[in-house]
Amino acid sequence: MSEYFEQLLADPTSFHSLPYDEGFKLSREQIERLHLEGSRNRFAQLRPRLSVLDKLAREQGIDGIETIDDVAPLLFAHTIYKSYPISYLERNRFDKLTQWLSGLTTSDLSRVDAHGVESIDDWIDLIEAKSDVMPSHTSGTTGKLSFIPRTKVQWNQTIIHSAIIIRDWWGRGSGPDILRDGMPIIIPGYRHGAAATQRGNSIQVEMYARGEENALFLYPDARFSADVASLGGRLRAVEARGEAGILDISPVLLERREMLLELERRRPDDLRQFFSEAQRRFGGKDVYVTAMWAILYDWTAEGLKRGLKGVFGKNSVLLTGGGKKGKELPEDWREQSLEFLGFDNIFEMYATSEMMGLCMMCERGNYHVPPVIVPFLLDPATGRPLPRKDGTTGRFAGLDLMPNTYWAGLITGDEITLSGWENPCACGRTGPHVVPPVRRYSEKEGGDDRIVCAGAPEAHDRALEFLAELAL
Amino acid sequence: MTDSFRVPLIIRGEIIEDADVEHGGRRGGVSFRAPDVAKHIAKLPLRTPSKMADLYTLSFDDILDYLVELGKRLDHARNRHVQEAFRLSCITSGLSESILRHHYDRLGAMFDRDEMRRMMERGCGVDYLESWVDQGPSIFPGLRARTRAFGARCVHVIAGNAPIVSILTVIRNALTRSDAIIKLPSNDPLTAVALVRTMVEMTPDHPLTKHISVAYWKGGDEATEEAIYDPRGVEKIIAWGGFDSVKHISRYLQPGIDLITQDPKLSGTIIGREAFADEATLRSVAKRLALDVGAQNQEGCVSARVIYVECGTDEQGLARANRLGELAFAALQALPPHLSTPHKAFDHTLKAEIDAVRLQDEYRVFGGRENEGALIVSQEDFPVDFSRQLSCRVGNIVPVDDVETAVRSVNAYTQTIGIFPEALKEKLRDRLAFQGAQRLVSLGAAATMQHNMEKQDAIEPVRRMCKWVTEETADGEVLDAIAG
Repeated sequence: MSEYFEQLLADPTSFHSLPYDEGFKLSREQIERLHLEGSRNRFAQLRPRLSVLDKLAREQGIDGIETIDDVAPLLFAHTIYKSYPISYLERNRFDKLTQWLSGLTTSDLSRVDAHGVESIDDWIDLIEAKSDVMPSHTSGTTGKLSFIPRTKVQWNQTIIHSAIIIRDWWGRGSGPDILRDGMPIIIPGYRHGAAATQRGNSIQVEMYARGEENALFLYPDARFSADVASLGGRLRAVEARGEAGILDISPVLLERREMLLELERRRPDDLRQFFSEAQRRFGGKDVYVTAMWAILYDWTAEGLKRGLKGVFGKNSVLLTGGGKKGKELPEDWREQSLEFLGFDNIFEMYATSEMMGLCMMCERGNYHVPPVIVPFLLDPATGRPLPRKDGTTGRFAGLDLMPNTYWAGLITGDEITLSGWENPCACGRTGPHVVPPVRRYSEKEGGDDRIVCAGAPEAHDRALEFLAELAL
Repeated sequence: MTDSFRVPLIIRGEIIEDADVEHGGRRGGVSFRAPDVAKHIAKLPLRTPSKMADLYTLSFDDILDYLVELGKRLDHARNRHVQEAFRLSCITSGLSESILRHHYDRLGAMFDRDEMRRMMERGCGVDYLESWVDQGPSIFPGLRARTRAFGARCVHVIAGNAPIVSILTVIRNALTRSDAIIKLPSNDPLTAVALVRTMVEMTPDHPLTKHISVAYWKGGDEATEEAIYDPRGVEKIIAWGGFDSVKHISRYLQPGIDLITQDPKLSGTIIGREAFADEATLRSVAKRLALDVGAQNQEGCVSARVIYVECGTDEQGLARANRLGELAFAALQALPPHLSTPHKAFDHTLKAEIDAVRLQDEYRVFGGRENEGALIVSQEDFPVDFSRQLSCRVGNIVPVDDVETAVRSVNAYTQTIGIFPEALKEKLRDRLAFQGAQRLVSLGAAATMQHNMEKQDAIEPVRRMCKWVTEETADGEVLDAIAG
């Protein structure tokens, strides 16, 4: 125990491969010491090498971390990883985008020469080829992608970490030891791509499935394109600049759009193939399935429609999370998904793309914050940290101490309630935990027929989406 | 205190004060109670058009007399309905108390007799409202025509970001001799109520009082809207607001209903190189820019958001842009409190964007630390990606090498453009109009609103609110001859 704690203090990154259940046996004093010393060390280590963090520290007038609340002003706005001007994409200024990204990582990007690059996908591939960074991007629901400069080493660590969680979450060694024994993987999505959900695919194929023959994807050959994911947002930005912006639309963008349409046309075939392969190759076997709930539901509903039930083995595992993502799902969407899958060994998480750590849901329905994530609740109005008092609700922010090449300290757009400081969760795990529900502040603030005369109508945006879908 | 707000239903002089339904408000989490419109729905539309006749027993001057008298009674110090509307607005509005006080203290001033007459003279012509106006000779021999502007039975789905919207609606309705059902917005349900209630107290049986109703129902409420948006009782819908507001209504459109949309708009600024002629000029430009950004706390469609500046994009040009940003931010902070104050409910999403760009070399940010407002100066010739979210007194200065970039950035959602100097405005005005701009003003004058009231987004809504009826007289002998 003490040795475990000493190791975390000395190197929080090592948490990724240590027995996961140990992390929830620490005392409050130990957790607080780890939070304070870990933040202090990470800040001291990264600040001189991260220009953006250095700028923030200067802006805030903070030179060292005395108390844990000193960390709060050093957390990035969640928009930081998408704070590049979208015009860089439209004008093919990927050299500038590289420069922007280099302010957010200690990795050396100097060998990346992005002159002449014409698409985000190509830019991401170039960085991967010429540096130790393997950038990932968000799915772009707002239309502007965040880019997170996680390294190849860190991606490996996250995949190891997920396997350790599955092994130890319900007790040490209670789950399958995927790293030791391997396990087939089933993913109802794209095989390739740099979005956070695809980034780990190759590593999982290698580490978990131990070869493509033990892996099944809905789109086994296709890439989830960052250029396509960003299309809506880019067209919006372009349109906001009027005619001046429209002249900047890149032909590559239009090309990628064609690829997407082709994929959509092939979807029924791909689905048929996916289900038949799932049954033929993996039916009744224990497998590892991972997907966000909303995507998982689409897949399982389609399977149930085809009369498929209880497809996989009883000792299969599902790693999932992400909620409904604004989708309209039936009341019993969870039950339906499980009926199709045929097992109920679910690992459900609450996580953000920028952090490596995951908050796993316990048998009481709470999400446990691992000790290497320093959680904060900020007052939504002032941004100041709220006291560590059970049952407090506020804007969730956190610093993940695991990443050591970029600053994984940021303020989310989520409203959450934290407990577990004073009294541990009834499940027995120590440390802070998130009590559902998790709500987006943006959802909370919208919604009734408040009418104003200022604004640019969403009709326009929707027309653009329509354009993106059909008319270009 | 937040539970005490009641929004009555007023139908043609009858005030219904039941509190059947609770509605959640927006900012401040305020809720209010209002009668269930469904119970009274049959009385709301005017199904019998012949009942418009009483409005024609009044002369234009009679109507002005009525409105002037109404204006006198809207004294904030004495009128408890105005006080109640003010009290609720202080919670729900994006405007600070000092600005709202300024507005509510001056409600009556909007009912200036001469100004109302001039407004209608420019908007559709008082003689057309008063009489059948001869249309002059025609190419058909002996045919003469006379046209008169008649009022229509209208539903007004109004905006709630400033009390002026309610006032304009009441004035336009009366002076065009129309019949109005005002659908109240959740962000200001009481200002229109205060006006109409005061009308009822003043002369409950007056035709003008009998031809205005106010109601709150939740936008999209099908049972209510199906009954109201029916061409047997409603001829025109004047809809403020964005996609959702209009989307609800568009379902009910059919021949016989004319929709006049007053879309949300954004406004901007173009500043020519002359601004940098000398320090005194620059300071004056900065103050005028602060006025366009900050007046009414940037809550209006007339408020400037993206500011194109012809200062160049080289190092010296950027220095000039940054200097303007610094001065304009200082001027913003110095605006008098009845015009502009730090925003009481600063947009969190916008704050997160500002916090992020502050750390990037692509932008310089003046202010924006709390709720004081900000000037973000782009260090290249494009605006911030969140330009449509600019609000709460946050402007974005964009340096350009020449004004062409600025001109081409204007589109159909651009309402007002403040321009400096005057010569540049004249030079660009036709081209800006081609692009979609609707109102060009001297830098600093965006919030006067003066002519936007009638021309409103270049659509002349008052003219469109009327029915232009023609009576023609042909020569009987000519018609005989045609018949052969």
